[in-house]
Amino acid sequence: MPVDPLGGLNDVLRGVEKLGRDLIGQPRIRLAVTGLTRAGKTVFITSLVANLLAAGRGRRTLPLFEAAAGGRLRSVRLVPSASEALPRFDVEAHLAALAADPPAWPGRTDDLSTLELTLELDRPGAFGGMLGSLIGSRTVTLELLDYPGEWLLDLPMLDQDYAAWSAETLRRLRRGERAASVRDFLAWVEALPAGATADESLARRGHALYRDALRECRDGLGFRFLQPGRVLNPGPRGETPLLWFFPLPYPSGGGLASLMAQRHAAYVAAQRAEFFEPFFRRFDRQAVLVDVLGALHAGQAAFEDTAEALAAIAAALRYGGGWWDWLVGAGVARVAFAATKADHVPGRQRDALAALLGTLVAAPQGRAAEAGVATSVHALASLRCTEDAVATLDGRPVAAVRGTLLATGQSAKVYPGEIPLRPPEPGFWEHGFFEMPEFQPPKLDAAGGSGVPHLGLDALLAALIGDLL
Amino acid sequence: MSDAPKGPRIIVEDAAVAPRLDFQWEQAVVPVAAPKVPSRWSGLGRAAAGAAVLGLGLAALDATNFVIDQFGRGPVQGWATAGVVVAGFGLLASGAWREVRGLFSIRAVERARAAFAREDLPAARAEALRWAGGVAEAASLQPALRQAGSTGELRALLEGGPLLVLDAQAVALGRAAAVQSFAVTAVSPSPGLDALVFTWRGVRLVRQVAALHGLRPGLLGTMALLRRTLLDAATVAATDVAVDAAARALLSNKLLEQFAGEAAAGAVAARRMLRLSKVAAEACRIVPPTP
Ligand SMILES: Nc1nc2c(ncn2[C@@H]2O[C@H](COP(=O)(O)OP(=O)(O)O)[C@@H](O)[C@H]2O)c(=O)[nH]1
Ligand SMILES: [Mg+2]
Repeated sequence: MPVDPLGGLNDVLRGVEKLGRDLIGQPRIRLAVTGLTRAGKTVFITSLVANLLAAGRGRRTLPLFEAAAGGRLRSVRLVPSASEALPRFDVEAHLAALAADPPAWPGRTDDLSTLELTLELDRPGAFGGMLGSLIGSRTVTLELLDYPGEWLLDLPMLDQDYAAWSAETLRRLRRGERAASVRDFLAWVEALPAGATADESLARRGHALYRDALRECRDGLGFRFLQPGRVLNPGPRGETPLLWFFPLPYPSGGGLASLMAQRHAAYVAAQRAEFFEPFFRRFDRQAVLVDVLGALHAGQAAFEDTAEALAAIAAALRYGGGWWDWLVGAGVARVAFAATKADHVPGRQRDALAALLGTLVAAPQGRAAEAGVATSVHALASLRCTEDAVATLDGRPVAAVRGTLLATGQSAKVYPGEIPLRPPEPGFWEHGFFEMPEFQPPKLDAAGGSGVPHLGLDALLAALIGDLL
Repeated sequence: MSDAPKGPRIIVEDAAVAPRLDFQWEQAVVPVAAPKVPSRWSGLGRAAAGAAVLGLGLAALDATNFVIDQFGRGPVQGWATAGVVVAGFGLLASGAWREVRGLFSIRAVERARAAFAREDLPAARAEALRWAGGVAEAASLQPALRQAGSTGELRALLEGGPLLVLDAQAVALGRAAAVQSFAVTAVSPSPGLDALVFTWRGVRLVRQVAALHGLRPGLLGTMALLRRTLLDAATVAATDVAVDAAARALLSNKLLEQFAGEAAAGAVAARRMLRLSKVAAEACRIVPPTP
């Protein structure tokens, strides 16, 4: 549905441009990489760019992808910067840090950054090469965006008013009552009188308590469905008064409640204008990255929270399928779901990991399929850090992985536990919580000329953009 | 299954610091000759080929029948008709052949560039040698090219020697074209005529520059080259500084200075010609531009 006339006009213009580009064989594809915090978006984009560039140099880093291209991939280039107002995604710096000694993973992403990549291909057919030199070869431009995962959870807020948001948020927060700071905030907010006045010090106090609760939920409990995203990751401008709101049990009165409602509305408007409209209103392909193992190890509450967050994000995105989308040619053509860090489990458990992801994302997948989008589910390691090994536990051999620990530099075998094919029974979580150690990246060529070792990136790319080549 | 150990576990193997894992990735992904993918004719290609076969084949059959008929009238008529038919078809065939050759020579440039971009030494060396065989300025370089141990070395040899010479010659050609188009636009009565002259001279310039690089583009080849040249022109705004300097030097000529006041259009045309020669030379080089 066209929400506002300006956005509608934009849709029409982009639809015309898209049609023209498709006709001359130079499509431009916006690839939305969505994933919650620490799902592995930044590493994924780094690996994607490095491996595509290497494939453009003839390296066989992405065999399945090249097969999908029918051997017609001629070169891959980074599009040089023009006059973008956004920072450029710094692949070289990320690769250099990963290859350095000691290696470092990319730091927390705290701002948007973009990068464009052009794949040049021979035109298909017996005389494709000839035709190519006459009218130009086929080029596919990929637009990539990296952003803080926390902000993604603001998308479900766009269609909610303050009262509805308050009720929902308090309900979810109660599941984290294990955490002391969550208990503190809940106790404080429930003790507030219904007619509390719009006192600034009261608002600041509530905000500080709420922020601490959110932080502990994210870092201690592994929760992801935490709103508003900018409280956890304010971005380069730091905190602004816009952020100083929190859910109230009596959200519809005057005084403090109306101040909170005002700030909530302003925040939603700002996120819509700065984040959602420019980047997520319209995209062509989507990779949904999920740290399935991390969620599984963080316990039942975190696992369910992750599923709920993914469903809420999918519900807020526009997959097309409506008459307006059909008319202006908007909508997503393909969505690939990937369980990242698949190198944390031994080879024969990776299928189970993908199967578990399939049940975890059943709701988003259903929503995409409803709009006629082709979907696929993968197990993916953007940067493979382990090799398969056998460990002996309680006198029995079990399949494990071996890697070098980032923290100590020691070699260790990790047994990730049995990966269930379905969301497990409550009994499964009895063994308590576990956090996968960070591994050191393997030996890398600092210049990155040969790409980086990965698992399944080529299959994912073939499924996601293979039809465009 | 059910008696498998519950819960994940970390087992540190050794207290000592271990080396990083090494998958030998660089060696695993070195390029091999890409398998030749059998290419199929597209529907449109088939239809076009069918039309061509029908048109040419029926014309040939028609002509043959006609020649036989003419022989029935008498040997003189027969031989004369046969001569006409053979000459006509011969010219057609040779024209088509030249077109295909021209297009192939442009394709060869693209192949060479791709080989350099891939750092594929054997292919790049073969292309460089083939190219040097057809360009007088590069012929003496062949032994050195044969010895080169890396694509970087090949590139240095080519860029330091023949390509430098060819660039200078292209600039000279461009200057000649610039002077001519300046003169024509300064005296011509209508802007329409200016544009016509400029286009004709521009196309000729591109073909001249291509010939420097050993390319003999036919009509299709010229079209391909023009497309590439215009595409590149969008990306080489940086060379404008050099072009501006050259244009200024050119226009400070005493005679031309007389015109320059009233013939600003001529100055623009001259500058465009210079730029065109530069970009055309760029498009014909067998090494890709350095990023
Ligand atoms: N072993 C392994 N770890 C990964 C991989 N991808 C990401 N990680 C880990 O996950 C962390 C978070 O990844 P990052 O890309 O920064 O997540 P983002 O918040 O979604 O951008 C990294 O610091 C790595 O430790 C992978 O392919 N293999
Ligand atoms: Mg990140």
